[in-house]
Amino acid sequence: MKKIEAIIKPFKLDDVKESLNEIGIQGMTITEVKGYGRQKGHKEIYRGAEYVVDFVPKIKIEIIVDTERVEEVVNTICKASNTGKIGDGKIFVLPVDDVIRVRTGERGSDAL
Amino acid sequence: MTVVESHISDNLMQNDSAIQNESATMQNQSSMQNDSAELILKRQSLIKKFSTTKDPDFIESCTRVIDEYFQNIFAKSKTAQKMTADGNPVALVALGGYGRAEQCVHSDVDILILFEKKLPKETDALVKELIYPLWDARLEAGYAVRTVKECLSMAWEQFDILTTMLDARFICGGSHIYSMLMEKFRNRLSSKHIQSSLSRLIEQSQKRHADYGDSSYLLEPNLKSGHGGLRDYHNIIWYARITADIKCRRDLERYGFLSHDEFQTMESSLSFIWDIRNMLHYITKRKCDQLHFEHQIELAKMFGFKDQNGHKAVESFMGELHSKMDFIKQINLMITEDIQLSKKARLFTRIKRATNYKGIVLYERRLQFDPVEIIPRQPDLLLKIFVESGRLNKPLSIESRRIVGEFAYLVDDKFRKDISNVEAFEQILSFSLWEFNVLNVMLSTGLLAKFIPEFALILNKIQYNQYHLFPVDKHSIRCVQVVNSFREKNGAENNGKGEEWNEKEWNGQEWNEKDGNPKNKDRNHKNRNGAGNLYAEIYRELRNRKTLLMAALLHDIGKGDPADEHSERGAQIARTILVRSNYASSDVEEAVFLVRHHLFLIKVATRRDINDEETAVFCASKIQKIPLLKKLYLLTVADSMATGPKAWSGWTEALLRDLFLKVMGVLRNRELATKTASRNIQKKKDEVLALNRTGSFDNRTDSFDNRTDSFDNRTGSFDNRTGSFDNRTDSFDYTDNINSWDEDVLVKELDCMSHRYLLYVPAPEIMTHLNLYKNLENRDFLWTISPHDDSDIRTITICGKDKPGFYSKLAGVFFLNGLNIVGSQAYSFGNNTALDIFKVMTPKDKIFENKKWHKAEMEFQQVLNDDAFLERITDRLPKSIAPKSGQIPMPNKVRIDNETSSFFTIIEVFAYDFPGLLFAITNVLYKLGLDVRVAMVATKIDQVVDVFYVKSVENGKIDDIHTQEEIRSAILGALPVIISC
Repeated sequence: MKKIEAIIKPFKLDDVKESLNEIGIQGMTITEVKGYGRQKGHKEIYRGAEYVVDFVPKIKIEIIVDTERVEEVVNTICKASNTGKIGDGKIFVLPVDDVIRVRTGERGSDAL
Repeated sequence: MTVVESHISDNLMQNDSAIQNESATMQNQSSMQNDSAELILKRQSLIKKFSTTKDPDFIESCTRVIDEYFQNIFAKSKTAQKMTADGNPVALVALGGYGRAEQCVHSDVDILILFEKKLPKETDALVKELIYPLWDARLEAGYAVRTVKECLSMAWEQFDILTTMLDARFICGGSHIYSMLMEKFRNRLSSKHIQSSLSRLIEQSQKRHADYGDSSYLLEPNLKSGHGGLRDYHNIIWYARITADIKCRRDLERYGFLSHDEFQTMESSLSFIWDIRNMLHYITKRKCDQLHFEHQIELAKMFGFKDQNGHKAVESFMGELHSKMDFIKQINLMITEDIQLSKKARLFTRIKRATNYKGIVLYERRLQFDPVEIIPRQPDLLLKIFVESGRLNKPLSIESRRIVGEFAYLVDDKFRKDISNVEAFEQILSFSLWEFNVLNVMLSTGLLAKFIPEFALILNKIQYNQYHLFPVDKHSIRCVQVVNSFREKNGAENNGKGEEWNEKEWNGQEWNEKDGNPKNKDRNHKNRNGAGNLYAEIYRELRNRKTLLMAALLHDIGKGDPADEHSERGAQIARTILVRSNYASSDVEEAVFLVRHHLFLIKVATRRDINDEETAVFCASKIQKIPLLKKLYLLTVADSMATGPKAWSGWTEALLRDLFLKVMGVLRNRELATKTASRNIQKKKDEVLALNRTGSFDNRTDSFDNRTDSFDNRTGSFDNRTGSFDNRTDSFDYTDNINSWDEDVLVKELDCMSHRYLLYVPAPEIMTHLNLYKNLENRDFLWTISPHDDSDIRTITICGKDKPGFYSKLAGVFFLNGLNIVGSQAYSFGNNTALDIFKVMTPKDKIFENKKWHKAEMEFQQVLNDDAFLERITDRLPKSIAPKSGQIPMPNKVRIDNETSSFFTIIEVFAYDFPGLLFAITNVLYKLGLDVRVAMVATKIDQVVDVFYVKSVENGKIDDIHTQEEIRSAILGALPVIISC
């Protein structure tokens, strides 16, 4: 099992969610995050005063899937969140040792 | 209260009498079991009685049962008797809520075991005798063992110990020790600790309000610790005990802290809150003071509330609880004010002071009608008293509130339309502040819903979702408050916490009342450039704020009917209200716009790409006017802040502010988003569609699939016509409208185009470009060359896959072929397609013009994939340049402007013109990783001004000063040296 963590532009959330639904991804966790990578923040100027956006608002999506589905999910997220411009985001794939469904105690893929 | 366990040495139990002790312990144990069993029984019967009959004396009875327990066990205690015999007697003192005789079902039992000078060795045994049975009875018992001296020193060190001392009540044992403690405590308090204790009292309660929020509004209020909770009443008691040593609640009235009416209302409010708290403890089976949703319906039923007049029982129940807690909050605020003023003034000045209105006076620092009989003749005083209340920052007396409610029937349509009443209401709106909210009082008297009858639709309308913490009516008033808070510099930052959001502090929050505490100042200082200042600045710039305030009050008025989309419905209701109040039609339109679109900015900020210029242009086109944008922005911020922490965080704030500043930029430049611009763009779109429909666009017969063919063909035409392009028939190929566009597809394409492009490019050319774009397919690029009548200038339109350097490479190829560029425009088209238009002078040798174009095309194809080719071009640039003789040479200059556009850095280059200038500059930009989006070339005397809108491929605009310097010197370095003649 793998955990897929994707950082995307906020306005792409609906698109990503829908396309993941279409390939049958049942659940995900999202978080409003701020940060920067190559797309550094920027400044806006209002009446001579600078307003710095040093951390850019983004959405983080977390999904746990079986290893064989990773490529499909990653491709789907990539396709749905791509605008071709800077700051489109990143996707991380991490190993997951185990998953437990709290209610039933099921483990592993059954708990997904 | 905090449980402070004393340090008792472990070897208190002596070994020599171990056996004796053991038997004593066994005896004790059985007696202890009896005592705790008795206590359990008594409490159970009390609780049972309460749960069925709501015994009004429940908390006193509970206290008495525990008192009896202590008195019983103390009387039997051998250990206590031995202590007395040894000359070191003990006193049992009740502290905290138990001390005040306000024992709720699962309240802690706090007890002080007090000795005069030193702790005897039997202390441990005594604690076991006294406290263990309480634990067995499942009571949360906390105890402290102290000497008189310890008590006194700790009281000044720890504030919570001080407050428990204030509540101390003697139970049994050596009463002289208790009296000694109290006497010393009072002496020390009144001699040197009054002011510091009062300051601590205020400090603690402000911190508590920040932590637990305002219970008079919250949908899940904290009955004890929230603002308006029982702790607020404790504060009043403590204040009165510190300053006047009162003995019981009733003394609050006797000593003049509260008026008779205030005291009566406080008593009824407290008993309501206590009843709910006890019942909540009872049903949750634990000490639970937060009134969660899941218990509200059950409690409403238990307290006999019923569904009626379309209001649910739970709504009426919560409505009543909120109003009781609001009252406790109000008197707490009055008392806090008393404390802050206590250095200057005596509690009550018993003189009636006049106000701005005859018929309203200030008496005992509360506003009153004087005489009351004046109201039927002058009903406007009902509103005016709130104006005075806001202006003077003085509350209405309890009696006046009741009178307002009773006379509210006098408000009729004539009253509502009266201009002076409308103005009075505007003033009231602007007086609605955090510390002191006139509107809330007006709401609770029922006058607000009389003056604006539509407001009744949203009274106590609870929104059961995870965003809203407040009922709609309270939320609307909070929204007005937030708008007013923008008046203060940093006001909103204190309220909204700016960037540094802290959910716990927010949790329902009472925003910090005063800017007085140093922690806040630090934070404000740090965020000098934070959003708080921005809100304050924008607010100050506004001229007509009444539309903003009215819109803030009415923005959710459409929520009365959940079936409808509330913004649209709200706009209609708002219109009715504003028209009735005789607002100027421009004001009506503005406020209605604000209500209708109050979710617009937040939706765009979270659902659209705000780094795309088109998003900002889209918003700007909709909003049109800068003042309106400012108001809509402040309304959006206020609405979100007033909703709750889920709707407002540093994350949302950052997105919204960014969008606002970008839209502002578009509106300020007044280029792309004016009404005229929008009209022209629509007209342009219609023209294109018409061209497509009628096919009037030059539909030439010869179209070519093969590019080489087309060139051959054209070469022929050149030869025949000595290089003149006057016959257009063969000059086009890929722009042919082979099949006309499907209208739906065309509309979509047009909607995707940038405003800038649609505004500046004529309709026939757009059609040409679209066809070029359609025919591009998988090619790297396509270009078409068209002549200007009888001139040497050609327009080359290039459509291609946008890659870094596309533009500079084109300029380079033209330079290499001696084609002098006189003007150019660059646009983006569709998805990652560049559309560049160059105007160039034809080569001198007209005969071979076509060959030249052909060569240029091949070279461009080559250079697109091979950067090394660029070196060959660079080598040919002139190393120096001499201006015309007789002129004082002007130095080359580069200006970098980051302010005009939110999306691009604008680079202006002032230089002497020479063939290859455009390439020289754009090549530098390309090598620095900058993408040229718009280029404009103009000649000024003989110096050229080239303007480039650039973005860094990696990073958008170039904010970094060092990078700017790098760009400047790289461009200057690439320009030829100026030699003076």
